[in-house]
Amino acid sequence: MATVDQSHTGALPPEVALVGTKNKSGSLQRQQRIWGWIFLSPWLIGFVIFTAAPIIASFIFTFTRFNLGDGSVTFVGLDNWKMLFSDPLTLTSLGVTFKFALIAIPFWLIVPILVASLLNSKSVKGKPLLRTLFYLPYIVPAVSAIFIWQSVMNTQAGWINRILRLLGVQDPPAWLQNESWILVAFMIIGLWGIGNAMLTTLATMQGVPTELYEAAEVDGAGPITKWRKITLPMISPVVFYNLVLLSIGVMNYFVVPYIVSRGTGQPGQSTYFFNMHLYKTAFAYGNMGYGATLAWLIFAICLLITIVLFATSRRWVYYSSGD
Amino acid sequence: MKSKALLFVIVALFSVLAFPALAQDGPTEITWFVGLGTGTDTAQLEVQQNVVDAFNASQSDIHVTLNIAPSFETAWDTFATLVAAGTPPDIVGPIGVGGSHRAEWLDIGPYIEELGIDLSVFDPSLVALYETANQGYSGLPLLVYPSVTYYNRDLFDEAGLNYPPAEFGAPYVWPDGTETPWDYNTLIEVAKVLTVDASGNDATSADLDTANIVQYGLNFQWARIRLIWTDLQPENTYYDAATNTVSMPDSWREASHWLQDAIWTHHVMPNRAAAVSEALGAGSDNIFQTGKLGMAITPLWYTCCIGNSVGNFEWDIAPVPASLDGEQHVAADADTFRIPASTQNPDAAAQFLYYLATVGIEQLAPAYGGMPALPDFADSYFEAKDAAYPWGVNWQVVIDSLEHTNSGSQHHESWLPNWSQVYDREFAFQTEVEGDTGADVDVDASLDQLIIDVQSIVDQPAS
Repeated sequence: MATVDQSHTGALPPEVALVGTKNKSGSLQRQQRIWGWIFLSPWLIGFVIFTAAPIIASFIFTFTRFNLGDGSVTFVGLDNWKMLFSDPLTLTSLGVTFKFALIAIPFWLIVPILVASLLNSKSVKGKPLLRTLFYLPYIVPAVSAIFIWQSVMNTQAGWINRILRLLGVQDPPAWLQNESWILVAFMIIGLWGIGNAMLTTLATMQGVPTELYEAAEVDGAGPITKWRKITLPMISPVVFYNLVLLSIGVMNYFVVPYIVSRGTGQPGQSTYFFNMHLYKTAFAYGNMGYGATLAWLIFAICLLITIVLFATSRRWVYYSSGD
Repeated sequence: MKSKALLFVIVALFSVLAFPALAQDGPTEITWFVGLGTGTDTAQLEVQQNVVDAFNASQSDIHVTLNIAPSFETAWDTFATLVAAGTPPDIVGPIGVGGSHRAEWLDIGPYIEELGIDLSVFDPSLVALYETANQGYSGLPLLVYPSVTYYNRDLFDEAGLNYPPAEFGAPYVWPDGTETPWDYNTLIEVAKVLTVDASGNDATSADLDTANIVQYGLNFQWARIRLIWTDLQPENTYYDAATNTVSMPDSWREASHWLQDAIWTHHVMPNRAAAVSEALGAGSDNIFQTGKLGMAITPLWYTCCIGNSVGNFEWDIAPVPASLDGEQHVAADADTFRIPASTQNPDAAAQFLYYLATVGIEQLAPAYGGMPALPDFADSYFEAKDAAYPWGVNWQVVIDSLEHTNSGSQHHESWLPNWSQVYDREFAFQTEVEGDTGADVDVDASLDQLIIDVQSIVDQPAS
């Protein structure tokens, strides 16, 4: 068999040609990478300056006595971390926050599911209107909503107590002045924010395959059994999602108690939430070092709660993909 | 050529930005920060600007610029940001005694001597408010607001009661002619007659419907608990600086029980829920102005906020009742101007402070609502007040009150470490007693816990 001397054909050996292609494509990729970084740079610069740097700075602050009053910064080692255990307000505010979490999270988790189930029911008329009405409060600015609720819950003139009096309750609660009732009042105020959770739950419910319900009906399952055995497991991922967001949200609960108590945590210390303690320490008392330490503590608590929730999710969250 | 010109411009710009002192040629620029107390109302802004303009026109070495905080609520944040950024204002005020515990201030002692300020023209108790631990001064007495008893003449007339005494030491005269000392026991008894329910029963009657009280006898208008304690009995044993320990004086325990009884046993003072009800000011907590409160014990600055009384009811002022020890003591608020310790221009700031204290104050005092600490300016202050409240208020009570003011560690805003945190913790106790469950509060146990918490706060490193 005759052989051809390829050196005379003008064509490059395959390995050489490949090297050239690689060089070209490598150069192109490098150029694309550079342009990619350039286009990303506004966000990256913003992230570094406004997010990453403050996070790092706040961690450094935890080892300092940084006084906003006179701008002085002194290195104090672990003093701020030790103070977490001796500061009575840290324990008080954590107690208030966890107490509220126990009251509010189940309520704020269950009510959107019930409302979504209602709106998913075939027998309910005017669903689009109801969906809009339930979602509407979510778009009202929080501060406006809180002022409205303060009037609604006024002991003498608020319409909740007027209705209670009409129903025969002689001495309705002073919702916002009573240590026993104020957290319940906050929980009720929080119902205005269920619109988003309700909508995501409803969307998930509407995505449940109808053949599952049809098969269950063939097997003789009633509405409650279908809801318990099919709907609830199928929406469990979104319930889990809402639970994680709620847990983090309650740990960072601030705006409502701050406005209602005008930043005092009154009555008594019943609304002195952890974030109020953090805010006051850093910005009202000017103790930025200890304030940063409190911020890292609540971050650690949120992280721990989230890890625990994810660890337990395998037992009760249904993922159709098996993940 | 162009690039050389550009380079020159850049270098020149850099020089100006990097070395402002080199670029500065003219008067020393100083900033007056307003907002940590009164001073942010529109009418006050105009008066302050007039004072600044007059000062700037009176000399050429110093130029003052006003920096007004957007609101009182955000003023501390703004001030702290300016200090932390290394651009502190040079003079701050008006600011009260308590508010001043939140920052570091310049000792103006050396300037008092240098500028020839004669402290003897002021009441010594007012000067003492500004004495620092190292024998210096952190401010000059400028505006003073003694506590007085405001009373609604119309409600007293309606109840058939005589007015409270017009001068210190005089007794209260009941309608039948009997006389009792004007003290906190008498105050409760008078307040009972002035407290009325929807059916017209007063608090001396067993038929008083406590759920439907439409008019109250007494309130400590906008007063925090340490002011109330001090009204009932000034003490200097709450905080011992030598040992850094906190303890609850027995008289303050008694005062706390008195407060709880006034609200929940005698029902002569509104609780929190009533105080923010529609009927009593709709959340403003300005109960006396509604005309449904017989008496309010509060400092003189409250004249700022009863403009709605004009045309609706007439009020007057009486001395505060004698304290638990039977002596006359008056808790007084006071405002001044202060120089931040971190100022870059202490000399210029001190000169402007002197101008404010001796010249500007004549215009500023009526605008701020405080009585000038300099007696020379008191007349013009009361003339302005008479114009606002023309039915003839007994202002002599204010002047006489100055002889009885609490000073030093007896002052209701006297210093202790981490003052703001302590102030908030004390307020938590107050809201416990005034809140809806206040009747059930074990006052002694709450005070014991308060002392434990306050001790823990003062033990923390100063913030």
